[in-house]
Amino acid sequence: MKILVCIKQVPDPETIFKVEPAGGRVIPEGRLKSWMNRADESALEEALLIKESVSETVVDAITVGPGPAAQVLERAIGMGADTGVHILVPDDDLLKPLTIASWISSYATGKGYDLILAGVMGEDHMHGQVGPMLAELMNLPCATSVIAERIDPAAVSVTVEREIEGGQRSVMEIILPAVLTFQTGGNEPRYPTLSNLMRAKKQRALVIPSEALPAVQDREKIVGADYPQKTRSGVFLEGTVKEKASRLLDILEKEALLF
Amino acid sequence: MDKHIVIIAELRGNQVNPITYELLALAEKIRRTHTLPVKMILLGADVEMPAREIADASGEAVLAIENGHLKTYNGELTKDLLYDILSALYPVFILAAQTTQGLDFGPGLAVRLEAACITGVNALVDKGEGLCFSRAAYHGKIVTHVLSATETTLLLVQPGAFKAVEKEAKASGPVEIKTSDAEPKRIRSLGISATRSEDAGLAGANVVVAAGRGVGEKENMALIKQLSALFPRSAVAGSRPVCDMGWLEYKRQVGLTGATVSPKLYIACGISGAMPHQVGMQGAGFIVAISTDPRAPIFNLSDVCIQEDLKRFIPALVEEFQKRKRQ
Repeated sequence: MKILVCIKQVPDPETIFKVEPAGGRVIPEGRLKSWMNRADESALEEALLIKESVSETVVDAITVGPGPAAQVLERAIGMGADTGVHILVPDDDLLKPLTIASWISSYATGKGYDLILAGVMGEDHMHGQVGPMLAELMNLPCATSVIAERIDPAAVSVTVEREIEGGQRSVMEIILPAVLTFQTGGNEPRYPTLSNLMRAKKQRALVIPSEALPAVQDREKIVGADYPQKTRSGVFLEGTVKEKASRLLDILEKEALLF
Repeated sequence: MDKHIVIIAELRGNQVNPITYELLALAEKIRRTHTLPVKMILLGADVEMPAREIADASGEAVLAIENGHLKTYNGELTKDLLYDILSALYPVFILAAQTTQGLDFGPGLAVRLEAACITGVNALVDKGEGLCFSRAAYHGKIVTHVLSATETTLLLVQPGAFKAVEKEAKASGPVEIKTSDAEPKRIRSLGISATRSEDAGLAGANVVVAAGRGVGEKENMALIKQLSALFPRSAVAGSRPVCDMGWLEYKRQVGLTGATVSPKLYIACGISGAMPHQVGMQGAGFIVAISTDPRAPIFNLSDVCIQEDLKRFIPALVEEFQKRKRQ
């Protein structure tokens, strides 16, 4: 089998972001820590599990991002991916999901991938669009929010469980090749091994400058950013820990919530 | 062809998912600046009853497509049928729910229609350049405002962001039902498995105490249980990361793919409050949040905010509670 996994470098969720008053650009405060988007890591782990059970499986990892994004490819190879592909962009801040999907599609079309896996959603922009858009651009069937999959031994189809509302799972059989996007929690992503990390350092990812790929017209424009507004009163309690505890009990009592 | 605002209704089983009426509320807001007729589209295996219900409740025109392969959701067939209908209309805005269905068919459908696609829409703002749609980013810490640059825009709307409005009695809208025998070619639905839907007591609880990533270690889950034990008819729940780490059973997960709860009191402990969690708990009567991060989005959804480390705050609260009880 030939598997392509789409991965992305995202900022640590603890990062504090500031909105520049003019222009509404969003910038991280302090030194930015980044890592592989967790849902993408789950997708990669799933690909590596398939590689262990289906002989002659090749797993390639692809990312679209600026220079430092190469770190996630190194980690992917460290975890056991065979090769890394880096679509290099000068600055990823305003890349639209359609652009990312189109570039991955340009790379992947005609390369004979049986499965293309991705995370269900990026933790940074939370669009949840690249996977299903990529499927459409490549005219492949697609299932999102996948938590488990089973490859048919003859590799003609894959049976997937999609997580849906209310803790239920929707089960479906999909003819390969297909695009699946993964939820976290279906597996436990492995740590990179030292020998694989050494290989990653030597091997280097294939770098494709985005300028070499067809330009994609944006269909949306971000015109500004803000901090979220409060939807409730959001009163911050003051004082020592003990005083806050006491005040909270006063409030709960007043609201008749101490049953 | 007339321009339209198209609403894609959603069924849950054979019931109309109430989010359909939240989509209608957004359509009404759009109509304040764009006077366009609304068309409601419904796909399903047995559409007559829900189609009439939507037409009665909304007073808008309903087009329902009946197809026997849609007993459970099928992404391939949904996209094909919606594409056929929508390319024969002239939709300016297509509104669908940001559910696991909407997120599955929406982005691909937008590509096929050459439409813009904006997901996670939770507000409508006018930034002077036309209608702008707001959405959360960076774990809900930032809101971005997005303008469409195409003729057709597909919006996936966050559940709970727009309040459904009760309409004064209006004549029922016209209902058109078409049958389709199209078949999915590459995706076959095998049904629903309910492995995780066992009742964890979340639905009937007066008080839900929920743990998030900020709990820090599995051992600290004991604090969450202690806090929950102060209240009769209470239940322990958690956000996805806590379940992913194995600190809590998945049946106790609150959020988009977990349970939706609306207890009288919801106490969020170490939860950041990003969109997937928010949609599961925003209907709670009273919300208290405990977090060390003053910018945690959960504080924007809460009645009372406590910026403290839960490892210090919960023991203090339990102690104070018991002291009062003794008095």
